[in-house]
Amino acid sequence: MDTLVQILLAGGIMLAIAVVFGVILVICSNAFAAQRDERVEKVENLLAKSNCGGCGKAGCAQFAEALVKGEAKLSDCRATPTANKEKIAEILGGGEIGEETVAVVHCNGGHACYNKYDYQGYGDCASCELIAGGIKACPVGCIGKKTCAGVCPYGAITVKDGGYAVVDKEKCTSCGVCIADCPKKIISRIPKSAKVFIACSNHGKGKDVMELCRHGCIGCGICAKNCPQGAIEMKNGLPEIDYSKCIGCLICVEKCPRKCIKEH
Amino acid sequence: MTASLISVMFAAIISQNIVLSQYQGICPFLGVSKKMSSAAGMGFAVIFVMAIASVFCWLAYNYILLPLEIDYLYTMAFILVIASLVQLLEMILKRFSPTLYSALGVYLPLITTNCAILGTANSVVVFNAATYSFVEAFAVSVATGVGFLLAICLLAGVRLKTDKADIPKCFKGFPITLVTAAIMAMAFAGFSGILA
Repeated sequence: MDTLVQILLAGGIMLAIAVVFGVILVICSNAFAAQRDERVEKVENLLAKSNCGGCGKAGCAQFAEALVKGEAKLSDCRATPTANKEKIAEILGGGEIGEETVAVVHCNGGHACYNKYDYQGYGDCASCELIAGGIKACPVGCIGKKTCAGVCPYGAITVKDGGYAVVDKEKCTSCGVCIADCPKKIISRIPKSAKVFIACSNHGKGKDVMELCRHGCIGCGICAKNCPQGAIEMKNGLPEIDYSKCIGCLICVEKCPRKCIKEH
Repeated sequence: MTASLISVMFAAIISQNIVLSQYQGICPFLGVSKKMSSAAGMGFAVIFVMAIASVFCWLAYNYILLPLEIDYLYTMAFILVIASLVQLLEMILKRFSPTLYSALGVYLPLITTNCAILGTANSVVVFNAATYSFVEAFAVSVATGVGFLLAICLLAGVRLKTDKADIPKCFKGFPITLVTAAIMAMAFAGFSGILA
């Protein structure tokens, strides 16, 4: 009987101590509640939460904090869907949302582009680039060693049979990590609504490009001449598409003799 | 009194080092010693928590457990005290010193449940209750924390080198770290002869 009393007593005292501590903690957590701007949490919940780092901040939480403080622009984040961005802009009382974009690789050379040498390393594009500016004869040709595919937080980039990198339009959130890491700097953003894009980055003359690559743009200007909207303009040997004029008729894709305007 | 305090603190830092001769706190010692910055952060968090834990455990033991004659429950009571204490501390830090919070933040809850903290509290408050006064208990627990900081920072320094060194593949990673820790333990034990 004595033992039972002792057990109950000991248990009771421990319970009492625990309850006292618990009450103190609850009181303190209210009293010391960090005066965090409650908007931060709301904004963070609406962000893409992929922590891709495309905005230049360490993660979405830091970006949300910077947004509320006014140190970052909403358009810096490309990964958040427009619907959520509108809600965030409402919370923050305005803010530039920015157009929805996706990344594209401006090259369709790959195996069609001649190799300068036989690369036998295990490295990616960045290390291949260090050896005489990469394996490809074209100075702005996709090396196809998957640096972009490796850094893409969304798994949106693959190097397919063609030997050049291709961005999956559906998976890409336009975060910009690949744009920063591509040693050839041939990835850029185009509007998500775009129907076509130029799949070559070489500004060289027709004959020079022909010597480098079977798929390179020779700057013939046929696309510009045939575009019914006048949306294509030849600039420095490469066509440039004005996406505000483009209606997606795909005539340029059809007419291009080198097939380097691609349907998006 | 002062002389004995110094020798006790010396023992706590070097010859009776919490990690290298008492095998407590091995988990953070091996887990957080990859980078010097995180090792130092963890070390300071240990000093911080250890010092405060021993103070409050001493108070709880002498003013709650002993008068109520349930001092045999000290382990449970100490876990309770330390856990709630660190929770409280975290709140206060978050509110009043965001800088210190961001420096120690991640390590505080990690170290709370570590055996080194509980072991030190047990040791200075209960096992040596007859020899240590309140001040001595506090001093020894701070010294124990300093010993941990010393050990983890030294190991982090060595690991930075061994990571880059050309060592056999089978030794890479934790094996070489454990060998390093063993050699460090021998070196630290070598100091035990200094104290009478």
